[in-house]
Amino acid sequence: MDFELVNLISWIDESLRDLCGDASWAVSLIEYVLIAIAFLGLYCVLALILILLERKICADFQCRIGPNRVGPWGLCQPIADMFKILLKEIITLKNNDKFLFFTAPFLILAGSLGTFGALQFGKGLVGVDFNVGIFYMLAISSLGVIGILLAGWSSDNKYTLIGAMRSGAQLISYEISAGISILTMVLLGGSLNLTDLIEGQKDSWYLFQGHIPAIIAFIIYLIAGHAETNRGPFDLPEAESELCAGYHTEYSGITFGFFYLAEYLNMFIIAGIGTMVFLGGWQPFHINYEWASGFNELMDYIPSYCWFVGKVFMLVLLSLWVRWSFPRLRIDQLLHLEWKILMPISLVNMLLMAGWVAYIAAQNN
Amino acid sequence: MEKTLKLIQSLSSTAEKVEAMDFTVAVAKDDLRKVAEKLKAEGWDYLINLTAVDNQENIEVVYHLSKSSDMEKLLVLKTKTEDMQNPIVETVCDLWESAGLYEREAYDFFGIRFLNNPDMRRLFLRPDWVGYPFRKDYDNTPNEKFSTSVHDVASMENVPSITLNHHGEIEEKNVNLFDNDEYIVNFGPQHPSTHGVLHLRISLDGENVKKIDPHFGYIHRGIEKMMESMTYPQMLFLTERLDYLCGSINRHALCMCVEKAMNIEVPKRAVYIRTIFDELNRIASHLLGWACMCNDMGSITSFIYGFRDREKIMDIFQETCGGRLMVNYYVIGGVAQDLHPNTVNRIKEFIPYLREMIKEYHTLFTGNPIARDRMTNCGFLSKEKAVALGMSGPNGRASGWHCDVRKVAPYAAYGEVNFDEVLHKGGDTIDRYMIRLEEIEQSLRIIEQLIDKLPDGDFKAKVPAIVKVPAGEYYQRVENARGDFGVYIKSTGEKSPYRIKFRSPSMVAVSGLDPICKGTKVADLIMIGGSLDYVIPCIDR
Amino acid sequence: MKTYFKNLFSGIWNLLQGMRITMRNAIRKNVTECYPEDRETARQFERFRGELIFDINENNEHKCIACGLCQMNCPNQSLQVVSKMVETEDGKKKKVLEAYNWDLSSCTFCGLCTSSCAPKAIKWTNFFEHAVFDKSKLVKELKGDSKPVEKKAAPAPAPKKSDDSQVQQ
Repeated sequence: MDFELVNLISWIDESLRDLCGDASWAVSLIEYVLIAIAFLGLYCVLALILILLERKICADFQCRIGPNRVGPWGLCQPIADMFKILLKEIITLKNNDKFLFFTAPFLILAGSLGTFGALQFGKGLVGVDFNVGIFYMLAISSLGVIGILLAGWSSDNKYTLIGAMRSGAQLISYEISAGISILTMVLLGGSLNLTDLIEGQKDSWYLFQGHIPAIIAFIIYLIAGHAETNRGPFDLPEAESELCAGYHTEYSGITFGFFYLAEYLNMFIIAGIGTMVFLGGWQPFHINYEWASGFNELMDYIPSYCWFVGKVFMLVLLSLWVRWSFPRLRIDQLLHLEWKILMPISLVNMLLMAGWVAYIAAQNN
Repeated sequence: MEKTLKLIQSLSSTAEKVEAMDFTVAVAKDDLRKVAEKLKAEGWDYLINLTAVDNQENIEVVYHLSKSSDMEKLLVLKTKTEDMQNPIVETVCDLWESAGLYEREAYDFFGIRFLNNPDMRRLFLRPDWVGYPFRKDYDNTPNEKFSTSVHDVASMENVPSITLNHHGEIEEKNVNLFDNDEYIVNFGPQHPSTHGVLHLRISLDGENVKKIDPHFGYIHRGIEKMMESMTYPQMLFLTERLDYLCGSINRHALCMCVEKAMNIEVPKRAVYIRTIFDELNRIASHLLGWACMCNDMGSITSFIYGFRDREKIMDIFQETCGGRLMVNYYVIGGVAQDLHPNTVNRIKEFIPYLREMIKEYHTLFTGNPIARDRMTNCGFLSKEKAVALGMSGPNGRASGWHCDVRKVAPYAAYGEVNFDEVLHKGGDTIDRYMIRLEEIEQSLRIIEQLIDKLPDGDFKAKVPAIVKVPAGEYYQRVENARGDFGVYIKSTGEKSPYRIKFRSPSMVAVSGLDPICKGTKVADLIMIGGSLDYVIPCIDR
Repeated sequence: MKTYFKNLFSGIWNLLQGMRITMRNAIRKNVTECYPEDRETARQFERFRGELIFDINENNEHKCIACGLCQMNCPNQSLQVVSKMVETEDGKKKKVLEAYNWDLSSCTFCGLCTSSCAPKAIKWTNFFEHAVFDKSKLVKELKGDSKPVEKKAAPAPAPKKSDDSQVQQ
């Protein structure tokens, strides 16, 4: 018995091929459209889930109840919010660059959607898969910073400008250590292809394979990744007590909704990349010993997408916990943390990992 | 004090002692500057308050002075000018920095211009306001022609002043506060962390603050003017609308001032109850101050925790007084009602609970390395500067200034309890932060001692049906949660005061923003603002 | 180098301590008051000043003698006592209450009216749900159709009599 979604997908594929006969281009076209719809749908649904989750978790930490009016336990609250945001007026400003002003939310959304497409949700559940998958994700996710900078600049507002400048400094800095810590794991896996990386964690996750360097890289990745989502103690670009709402102060209605959506999905994406690189992606948890084979088989019964989503949500919960516990950093502390602590450590850590990989290779020979 | 009188008389032959409750000396307008300079040199370095009074045939300026080393001393210096059309008095703002804003207030309300004060803008009212509303001859019928249009920014920055030129003639000057190419950010009046409707115009250099220009008056209600037409019991409720976070303490000040003037002896039980409720109010205020500061620094969870625990105090208030924020509890001669039977138990349960919670606060926020790093070595205020600005209360004590009115001039039951005046030497933001949490513990100590000794008896003294304060001038200081709060009453024996003025500790706190924040970052400005813990309605009155 | 790592680890330790506190609070009982679900059971403080009402007894009688002290004492002029002079049977003139208007929108709940009311004709209740759709509804007439309390003959209950005599002073 197998609950893998990949079976469903291959069934759809086969029946489409049967239906269209020779016209394989039509099959591809229909499949592209189907995949796009599926991803967009998943994107929105995940955002709604995450929004509700964050509000409920944050309420718990603060001894509150959280949303509880719409639907049972407030389950329909994000849907109500969505409709509210869709129905709201989009306010246009007088003296600003309208083109850039309305491009910015799309850029942000494009950056986050592009990365989202490259996530591997389960066995065979891959939207974009090619040999430099990790590289692609790192590259496309930095599109967001352009969107933020544009939003801040084109809003014609001093607060948004400060927020955007902070954000530029922050995102560019933290991409470095996030990138290096991922590269450390690429070193261990020996491939830039995500499928290969995940396949390599079949028996034991990289977090365990890589010993201490992997754990250090994981922690650094969590911090840097958290900073890249502009949340928690790193929410300087928004800094609601300082800059009102930072770079998206002047946005309203669905344009604001795009920022909102992207912020929550970025949380998921960062956790997703972390899961794929450190926690074995959709691979089940295995104990690499003879005596544990029964346990391993039991783990295999859980479908792969459940593993992925479960791990991602664990990381998301961790990030929420951090977010609702700590005060915000100041811009100089933020840069200090990156350039004087995280980056040197991650560079040294990469060397350590290289040594570890060389050691394993020597042993295997 | 006789020595001081002799000293003043040696400088000014016309100076004479005025019969009043506090030691009062009247000097001629022309001698004021000399006397002030000498007094400053003699150690009278703390200008508590500056009040102007319109006596119809002359305008009086009253200076309340004290020594930072010996806060118990209180010297009232008075001067007056007969020129009602164009009153001019020499400034003292170069001697006592705090005088700057007070003199602007006096100009705003009475039209007194202070010679050599570099900033003679209106403080609370709009630049295009006509007339001086606290003058007795001010026509306060509603003006229908009054424009409600937005005045231009230029008039906010245009700073008039008057000086004497070398011919001895008065010269009027206008300067612009900011250069044309400065990057000025309007911080408020609508902003999440101005703790009210404060408007700061900040000149920024990147993220660094270059200059701060505070604007007040967005919540000015003319409370002092309203009080001039109210009877004493009626005006009590307005005191709680000044600094709404420690309303009871303000009300206590006014009640005590009237009681002192009328020689009413408050029953011991009422005094104890008042002290307990003052301290509860102080705890509530400090908790909220702590919570808001955490919120300013981005820790929203701490904010909620602070409010959660403050809620318990609000419940105590509500049970005994019937109100939560505006408790309306103290009346002239005592308190309005006796304690509710449950209150003592509630307070006794609350004390250990809060002690436990404060430990949590320390682990959650004080121990947090991010918060510590942000607060240490940031927003330094030296003791000298604190005294010069008149920044008393927790902010002054964080700089090492022994300025707790509860200690230096004990009132109510403070003389009978053991508690420590929390003093820090650093003057940094973290000292101002810590001092609030430590003061909560001291307040708990005070309550603990009083709640067991609560005497039986009346809770209210017999007070005449119509409260008439005998003619004279009275000043009463109390320590409210933000510092040295004072009430000045000038009475002519009527049932409403001739002039009433409140000394707001928040105003001096805001005036300290510019010197403290110069060179810090925008994020620090918010944090320092949170650590100074000002409440805007107290400034605007 | 040593202090660098010491600071690093103590920093991480303190951060974890903070996270422990938030987690501890997550497990604690919520403090939210579930209004309006707990409307019936919500804690109410008997002294809470929610609404001003007339103390009307079971015979639909109020105790107001229309002296106007409350109106005089009110700092915001939110009370209005409308009265008229009538002649009683024994030929004396007497003030009778026509209407008693309380403007909720300008009331500050200071309690000067109730404390100055000698016959204790007005009192506070805990009612706090004052929201209305029209501002004019905030002016409430408190007397309703109640009648002034009947003056009893000489051996009347003592407290009421003393109340009356106080007012006449």
